[in-house]
Amino acid sequence: MKRRQFLKDATLLANAVALSGIAQNVPSEPCPVTLLAMADYGRDLSREIAAVMSGDGLQLKGKKVLLKPNFVEAHPERPINTHIAVIASAAHACLRLGAAEVVVGEASGHRRDPWFSVLNPSLRGILDKKVKCVDLNHGDAVSVTNAGRRTGLPVFYVAKPVAGADILISMPKMKTHHWMAVTLCLKNLFGILPGVYYGWPKNLLHFRGIDNSILDLARTIKVHYNIIDGVVGMEGDGPIMGKAKPVGTLVLSLFPLAADATAARLMGFDPQRIPYLFQAGRFLPGLKQQDVVIRGEKPARFAAQFDCPEEFKGMRGGPFF
Amino acid sequence: MRYNTFVLNILTQQPSTPPNPNPDLANLINRLTSFFLPGGGCPYYKGRDSSAEPTFLAALALFASGAPAERAKPLLSWVQTLQNMDGSVGVNPGHRGQGLWLTAQAAIVFHHYELKENLKRAQDFLLSLRSITISNDPRLKQDNTLAGWPWVPGTFGWVEPTAWSLIALHLSGQAGHPRAVEGRKLLLDRRIPSGGWNYGNPNLDDKELLPFWDTTGLALTALCGQAEIDRLRPSLDLVEKKQDKIESLCGLAWAVICLHSHGRDAGRLRTRLWNLMGSMAEEDLHVGNFALGVIALSQKKVFTA
Repeated sequence: MKRRQFLKDATLLANAVALSGIAQNVPSEPCPVTLLAMADYGRDLSREIAAVMSGDGLQLKGKKVLLKPNFVEAHPERPINTHIAVIASAAHACLRLGAAEVVVGEASGHRRDPWFSVLNPSLRGILDKKVKCVDLNHGDAVSVTNAGRRTGLPVFYVAKPVAGADILISMPKMKTHHWMAVTLCLKNLFGILPGVYYGWPKNLLHFRGIDNSILDLARTIKVHYNIIDGVVGMEGDGPIMGKAKPVGTLVLSLFPLAADATAARLMGFDPQRIPYLFQAGRFLPGLKQQDVVIRGEKPARFAAQFDCPEEFKGMRGGPFF
Repeated sequence: MRYNTFVLNILTQQPSTPPNPNPDLANLINRLTSFFLPGGGCPYYKGRDSSAEPTFLAALALFASGAPAERAKPLLSWVQTLQNMDGSVGVNPGHRGQGLWLTAQAAIVFHHYELKENLKRAQDFLLSLRSITISNDPRLKQDNTLAGWPWVPGTFGWVEPTAWSLIALHLSGQAGHPRAVEGRKLLLDRRIPSGGWNYGNPNLDDKELLPFWDTTGLALTALCGQAEIDRLRPSLDLVEKKQDKIESLCGLAWAVICLHSHGRDAGRLRTRLWNLMGSMAEEDLHVGNFALGVIALSQKKVFTA
């Protein structure tokens, strides 16, 4: 399907979604989401992140934790990737909470060379020596039955370190996306699939439908915690070609959809008008604003209007806060 | 046999290339072989299982260094058992149907080690594997109707699998095959106008994308002697001009390989590559890229005829 047709269909679907209201199958439940102020990347927030994770009931003592940041590709001027200061704060928070093993792992979507991803010396240099960095693109994978039915893929080949972790923490960047409107925790799961199996980019997932792939992965992979780097996001023609958009917050939650929906609202989008988030609301809690319990900072402080491609302007909404 | 020579012999066999200033190639080979697993293959990183790509590149590094054939035998046996009935080669014995783009690398190994029956089957598969084409998109100034090679069957053609497949076909005398001709057109079409290659498209919405050093080096190597030099010169000039910005093992290795293939001076890059490879921590050592570094430092033309 051509991009223009895809976007036309997506907009029609978004409008239909907005008119039809929420048809969720999951019962309402309170989904705490914490906003942690981080004005810039100069602060170590490991103590604060540990406190929030602990308050959310995340048990890490003795556990193997895998942090999955978003390293798509490196660009000297564009905030494409999860910032290493956020990764370090989260990794050190996990150590504070007694994790037996903390691994930062990523299967970068565009760059095959691991030097531009988790094996970059700048990341290594900022991490405690006990934290390991693992290139998920090159290595063993475990075949996991696809619990969704949208892509038609019978299985996903999940990088072994992800399959072997007790706790998976998704750590995306807050960005617009030129195909999907926004890319956040759910989309970030593309990076647990090794490039040697799926290629660079993971073109097979594109052909099966990016939205379908996001939704099938969301049904298949259990994510235990989510931390969105919204300190400086990306607006406009994301996830690569956009511009920096300072927001000044981290978004933390046990609930991936609640984190994504909240981040989308902070970006000025109505998550119920974003087709894949709406569809995820059929099986994940946290889409509806009334189900999200905001903790920490007041959201109005960070509310922003992310510029976006024309096609997605119909998915905007608010003010929400 | 061609590969049954010793490490240092290769230096005297190629009088046109300056003697290697560093006698430690054998040490690098020893380090590389320390990653070989008892079952015959080689992992991407220490502690992981054997995978096709690092095994292929390690076998090619042994070939390039002139190591005795005996050292490559376990790798070659492992590689041969990985080949499927249709000639394709997958990512590992447990997932033989995945990562079939690796068939191109396997074909290069089969070529150099003169495993003719394996090579023929791999070639046949490569020629049957064709990326899908789509209609052109005004956002991308490129010809989407050209077919190259995909990462995964049934998907679009990308720079890297196309370049590996072209290398395999060129080495085995198939440069004139219509698939190779079209594949070269695709690679040339994906050049960034100011030089180099990204991993796929060269631009988006009139904005040039950044060149990647690995795909740039690989594409230049694949097109060496197979395209008008004027069409490659901006990319070669770019690699030379930006060489001090290249920091990764993979990037340095490809830069050396492509400049050497085109007869350009890669001396400074080689020195930096030597230094880097001599100081790499075990946990960071990507065995495939390390093997690529050995190939680059050997100065043997493994990827060009």
